[in-house]
Amino acid sequence: MRKPVKLSELGALSAKSRIEICGNREAVIEGCCGILEYGDGVVRIRTQERIVRFTGRGLVIRCMTEDALVVTGYILQIEFME
Amino acid sequence: MISLRLTRWLLGYVRFSVLGGSPERFYTNCAHSGAYLWDMTSGGNAGACVAARRYRFLRRNARRAGCRLRVRERTGLPFSLRRTKSHAGLWAGFAAFLVLSFSLSTHIWCVQVTGNKDVPAGKIESALASAGLVSGTLRSSVNPQEVERRVMLQCPEIRWISINLRGSMAEAAVRETTEKPNISDQKSVCNVIAARTGQILSLEVFAGTPEVKKGDAVVEGQLLVNAVVEDQTGGSTMTHASAEIIAETSREVTVKVPLHKQVDVPTGKTAVRRNLDIFRAHIPLTLQRKPQGSWRCECERTTVSLFGTPLPLGIYMETWKEVRSQEITLTKSEARSLAGQQIKKQSDALLKGLGRVTGQKLTEHWGKDGLTCEAKLTCEENIAKESEIFIK
Repeated sequence: MRKPVKLSELGALSAKSRIEICGNREAVIEGCCGILEYGDGVVRIRTQERIVRFTGRGLVIRCMTEDALVVTGYILQIEFME
Repeated sequence: MISLRLTRWLLGYVRFSVLGGSPERFYTNCAHSGAYLWDMTSGGNAGACVAARRYRFLRRNARRAGCRLRVRERTGLPFSLRRTKSHAGLWAGFAAFLVLSFSLSTHIWCVQVTGNKDVPAGKIESALASAGLVSGTLRSSVNPQEVERRVMLQCPEIRWISINLRGSMAEAAVRETTEKPNISDQKSVCNVIAARTGQILSLEVFAGTPEVKKGDAVVEGQLLVNAVVEDQTGGSTMTHASAEIIAETSREVTVKVPLHKQVDVPTGKTAVRRNLDIFRAHIPLTLQRKPQGSWRCECERTTVSLFGTPLPLGIYMETWKEVRSQEITLTKSEARSLAGQQIKKQSDALLKGLGRVTGQKLTEHWGKDGLTCEAKLTCEENIAKESEIFIK
């Protein structure tokens, strides 16, 4: 028998983080818990499961709300760290 | 994006710097406390923007992150309004502007007449004014149908008029009447007689029996075309005789030209008076008073238009020129020339466009008081004149 899928595990309602990347110029991170490091070349964000690290040039956090933020700039690398 | 910027400007926002401590921790704390930040910068120049009313709640987050906040810039409508709070005059001026705009918009300031060709706009404007539609009239007091009806009664040359009120402008769209052509009464019976004495040059009979032929000399009142038409069987019928009979006629015209006459000669002294006409108020722009004595006045009104719409704004200018009455004496050639002009004018009035002058013989009599010129004119004109026969 199939295990019923919880609604909260799907899409935007998921408890997991969700990252949407537009080219290498913009990334929208939903479900972030805070900023660990913020610099011109590095932005490190803590999500519910792991830490996401954006490396690039001229990185700027365009806006930030309780559970989402938008990183813009020239993104060269995205790393997922435990 | 524009709507977002506009909303931020309307609500007002603060751009601040984050000094010392950990800006990252401060941003995280702000996010957790529900504050929405944007344009966040990093490094030594760390800072962000926040809605004006949320700024004071950020202090606690800054304390927890070991930071200090410093306002760099306050932007938006609330701050702009706060700056003008102490200037009561500005608010009073704004209120006066609103009141003035509202009160002016309840009146009609421009009356424009369109569609007229032969009827002068001034005549229609005066008719409109007497019907109650004039610049400065309260818009609510104008009843377009009533104005239309009254103008139509005053100006019979107008076939149709429509008053269109658009904001503070009233447009009077006009259509002029077309003159009814003269329709000759073809049912009546008439002869054609000679209107003047002369010699017939050409004859064109449209209806009737001709009684004269080309080259005949006729006297005034002589029968030229008979209304009785005889057919081939010997029967006769009465018709409406009609013809064009061109004859050579002679006329005499006498004109008198005095050699001495009084004329107004400008002395060269002028005075200009200017008025600014704004919303029917006449504001003098010059201190020049109305000159006394012998002056001639020329008036000119210039109205300001915007995209073809006349505005209730213009300049009224009076140019006063001083004149002196002076007696002048005409030379013989000037008197002859003047006499010739007067003879032409009189002959044109006599012929009424139905003929032309083919020759003239002038006789001059020079007297003390001037020149008397007698002209014997030889004309070619249509002498056909319908004479109705009344049958009981």
